[in-house]
Amino acid sequence: MLKWFEREEENRQNIISSKIRLARNWSEYVFPSRLSDEDGLEMVKRLCDGLADLGEQDGRTYETAYLNELSEVDVRALKERRVLNASVLDRKAPMAVMVSQEEDLSLMFNGTDHIRIQGLSTGLHLQELLKAVNQVDDFINARFSYAFDEKYGYLTSFPTNVGTGMRAAVMVHLPSLSLGKKFPAILSNMGRFGVSIRGAYGEGRENYGSIYEVTNQKTMGQTEKELAELVGKVAQQLNDQENQVRTLTLKNHQLEREDEAYKSYGVLKFARRLAMKEAMTYLSQLMAGITDGLIKTSEPFSIYRLMLGIQTANLQKLSDRPLGKEELDVARAGYLRDELPELV
Amino acid sequence: MLCERCKIREANIQYTEVINGVKTEHNFCAQCARELDVGQYSAIFDGEFPLVKLLSGLLGWEEPVKKEGKFQQVVCPTCGTTYEEFVENSRFGCGDCYSVFDVLIHDNIKQLQGSDRHNGKKPLMQAGQVQGCGEAESEADSVTAGIMEKDSVKSEIRSWERKLKEALKTEDYETAAVCRDKIRALKEGIETDA
Repeated sequence: MLKWFEREEENRQNIISSKIRLARNWSEYVFPSRLSDEDGLEMVKRLCDGLADLGEQDGRTYETAYLNELSEVDVRALKERRVLNASVLDRKAPMAVMVSQEEDLSLMFNGTDHIRIQGLSTGLHLQELLKAVNQVDDFINARFSYAFDEKYGYLTSFPTNVGTGMRAAVMVHLPSLSLGKKFPAILSNMGRFGVSIRGAYGEGRENYGSIYEVTNQKTMGQTEKELAELVGKVAQQLNDQENQVRTLTLKNHQLEREDEAYKSYGVLKFARRLAMKEAMTYLSQLMAGITDGLIKTSEPFSIYRLMLGIQTANLQKLSDRPLGKEELDVARAGYLRDELPELV
Repeated sequence: MLCERCKIREANIQYTEVINGVKTEHNFCAQCARELDVGQYSAIFDGEFPLVKLLSGLLGWEEPVKKEGKFQQVVCPTCGTTYEEFVENSRFGCGDCYSVFDVLIHDNIKQLQGSDRHNGKKPLMQAGQVQGCGEAESEADSVTAGIMEKDSVKSEIRSWERKLKEALKTEDYETAAVCRDKIRALKEGIETDA
């Protein structure tokens, strides 16, 4: 079965994916930071057993795995595919995940909070995701009572998540807008609207591939629906702004844009070694070219899938032995040669 | 520009000090800045930027020294998290921490979240509240009745919480402890009823 990010979506424009996650805690246990490994394991077991029939309710097929039973590469690959979040990687406590086959819905037990319900999809579908995770949330809540307070709402480990416990996130591709001089100022001003925007890949100030993630900053005071709407509106707005700039570049610099798209395709299709940064940059340029109809491939394909595919742990997984840094660059180029469709 | 302290390394940190309206500017290198004590901002120079410290800086910003001394004996009875530990890690140990530290954290949470009241989803069916899974309508009735009953207890809890707040203001810890126990007992009452 195809994973959520492998599906082709018509006219996705610059909006790549949507995510909703809910953080919940079971009132019977203290929060994960205070939970002993013994109690943690007991809790994780009870949650896994108690929710084993979740699939019968929502029609998905779930797989359950204890994180300590997975290899390090598998755990990292799950993180790259956004099933797990980074804070889980260094945690030693007993943890488990329940992941649907498409990886569009997942539950994480005993991470930062006892239960983390996450829904992922391509494009902009926050309200649909909210509905899906709410259903799972109610299903869990009917069996396990949550730590909830009339005033503070759903209680979480960090005060930054309390209230709704909800984080809505939309990934947008902004190759032209992010070149603008005012862009850093736009990013830092977004806090005023209650959202934050961060580069999704790369470290520090660098951002490979011009992909940005819009999330709600606050989790209390507004309803889940309102928070999701806010994030969606900002993402939509950024998408529109990006389109405006791109229309301008198409009008004034059509040849340069075409050249850029074809050169990117050429490098990706024929290079023998590709570092992460290069690969992400060329994929981003190719994505802009395809979206604007400057370059056409023989079959529709998801560039975002390739962006996930060239991440380190995924390449390691495809190989039968551990790869060094140089070998990874070779494997990355090989992967892209195989996966990129021909041009028409 | 060279660092004005060591005069060896390049200065890459500009530190502006305003004392009684007099503004002085200093230029330091990262190493000297780390050695100098620039209060709550020193953490910034310790290699990796610690988000947790930034957050706790936010949460404990009101006269941190005084507050720690006064409130460090506030301990969550359920999980053993002290107020000091909470300020340091910005992390609660259990759900009860919220009510134990309520008066201490209320303003900070409001500042952090821009609101102090949850407005979103509420648990419709907490586990155990509903017995069996037969006729939905009568179940709903019993649930609302339960909620109404709980509301009166909740207002009682709120009044005790107000008393607790006043007691803490006047540093009357004996009364505060009594209030805290009352609140806890009432809250447990709700849970066992459910």
